[in-house]
Amino acid sequence: MRTLTLNRLLWICGALLAVLFVVVVLALKVGAVPISMTDLAWNLVRVIVGRDTQLSSEYGLIIFGLRLPRIVLGIFVGAALSVSGAGFQALLRNPLADPYVLGVSSGGSFGAILALIFLPYMPLVTPLAAFVAATATVAMVFFLGRRQGQLDNTTLLLAGVITNSFFSAVIIFLMTTLKGGEDRGMLYWLMGDLSTPLAASVRWMFGLGLIIGIGAIYTTAADLNLITMGEREAMHLGVDVTRVKLVVYVSASLLTGLAVSVSGAIGFVGLLVPHAMRLLFGSDYRVLIPTSAIGGAIAVVVADTLARKVVAPTELPVGAVLAIFGAPFFLYLLRRRLA
Amino acid sequence: MGWRRLALALALLVWAQFPAGGQTSPSQQTNAERDKTTPLAPRMVTDEVGRHVEIPQPVRRIVSLAPNVTEMIYALGAESRLVGDSDACDYPPDAQKKTKVGGPFTPNLEQIVALKPDLVLIAANSGNRRETADALDLLHIPTYATNAFTIEDILKSIVDLGDVIGATEQARTVTASMRAKMDQLRTKLADTKPAHVLFVIWQEPLISIGRNTFLADALRLAGAESIIDTRQDWPHVNMEEVVHLQPEYLVFAPDHSSEMATHLAALRSTPGWRDLKAVQENRVAVVSDAINRPAPRLIDAVVELARQLHPEAFANAPCGGGASHANGKAR
Repeated sequence: MRTLTLNRLLWICGALLAVLFVVVVLALKVGAVPISMTDLAWNLVRVIVGRDTQLSSEYGLIIFGLRLPRIVLGIFVGAALSVSGAGFQALLRNPLADPYVLGVSSGGSFGAILALIFLPYMPLVTPLAAFVAATATVAMVFFLGRRQGQLDNTTLLLAGVITNSFFSAVIIFLMTTLKGGEDRGMLYWLMGDLSTPLAASVRWMFGLGLIIGIGAIYTTAADLNLITMGEREAMHLGVDVTRVKLVVYVSASLLTGLAVSVSGAIGFVGLLVPHAMRLLFGSDYRVLIPTSAIGGAIAVVVADTLARKVVAPTELPVGAVLAIFGAPFFLYLLRRRLA
Repeated sequence: MGWRRLALALALLVWAQFPAGGQTSPSQQTNAERDKTTPLAPRMVTDEVGRHVEIPQPVRRIVSLAPNVTEMIYALGAESRLVGDSDACDYPPDAQKKTKVGGPFTPNLEQIVALKPDLVLIAANSGNRRETADALDLLHIPTYATNAFTIEDILKSIVDLGDVIGATEQARTVTASMRAKMDQLRTKLADTKPAHVLFVIWQEPLISIGRNTFLADALRLAGAESIIDTRQDWPHVNMEEVVHLQPEYLVFAPDHSSEMATHLAALRSTPGWRDLKAVQENRVAVVSDAINRPAPRLIDAVVELARQLHPEAFANAPCGGGASHANGKAR
């Protein structure tokens, strides 16, 4: 492991933020309705200057009413899923761990679908139910994953996998026995979808939750470095392993719950991005967590832009795009590392 | 600078369409009012899923996201105001030439915004998502949802829609003609016993209709009864159940009726299907896919189906042509 200096951390994050900025500008420009760079720049300047009363032009509405909220949502969801993926991987010392595998995503989807069936079309109820269910699933998996009072990694992972299958099956069951044509809306919930803009109030709650979750995981970064070497060793070095595990577990679940509650189950980010960042910048968690956050944001925004553009005016599920373009990229990084 | 003035004019144009009290501040509103010759206050209506919608008056630019709603708009003679529709809107053929905004299920919001509609119409129960309406709400684009579960609902949808877009008279004419056809059909079928049918929505896997769908109601009007009676709208049906219940008729409403003959031949050798007496004895009714859309054409498809299920009721008519029935059978 290379020694970490503040300088290096800032350089890496700065570079990634620059990439993110470029990606965001491109994502603002690209879409079903062509918008020229001049129009984009002019609209951006107008907002920065504060004359946003002129937003009612349809370009303004498309850029600031549709694309920007969607990009912001993509950034939030990408950061949340990647950081929680990185957290789970450290916690379980298992490279396969991610929110999807641990059943949190399907638990959240289950909650959302229950809400759609029993309290249909009530604003905020669906995301709230998804969040509650995701957190409840985490608690359940956490409880099931204990062995003789200790959190056992293999048991936990197995419990997660089983919970995942169980909830997926229950979701299919609910969708088949369902009354109306709403089931297709639910299907979309399962595939992951960023096309529904967030209400402003939810956006603030989400942003706050994101900062708290990522911040909490970041405070444990140095301890996580030790824990990945082995829990016993970390304990001997003075790390409060139980506390660290609890903090990471709760925060990662919070992040996943937030992401699922607004976008459905988007897979692959939580697995792919932390690994890619590890391959690029090393496995020091003090670097890995911020880079995963930014990298996840980049990945989801890029994938969502492609999802919007490739078959416009129809859209692809963003999860599918992530897998199609992410898997080869990941394999490339892996091979390069081995060479 | 020209482009700047153009953008400003566009902005004003859109403001003029915006419901008052939304994002518009008082000073801008007076601007907009000065621009317009006859400013009318927007109307508050409740749509068919219970959402409150502010409809600007008059409605000038309509986007329809559902094929049946598009058909209604054409029936109401408001097609010149229809500025965009979905990929699935294929009838009448002219609807295919409208600007497309993507599939009914995943319409492209950008494309819709770019068309500057002052009213977007969706069908909550046939292909559109409620989320789309919510998203359009956030963008302050008035969105009206229709939602029909019976033929009466469809008639009501047409009347309400006519009212909303300012085509009340046309709506009355359209529904009156539909009602006339329905009354005529009911008179003809008065002495018939309902036929027990299996309505095949999809064959592999077998999907039929539930009792609360407009299709179940359409079957009742056609002098038929679905053998499947469930509160699920589009149930997956077990073939064993169908073999057990032995429907008198199978009803198909294929998109491409030309392929139906080979399709039926194939059914005779398909396990399960070949055990149905209706298949063995060729009691299969094939109707236009118009029956799948809660729109004015549905009634014609129902008549078409009734004619195949109860030929005896139509036997008195001088010949088989549809026109002869229009004023036939004096009572």
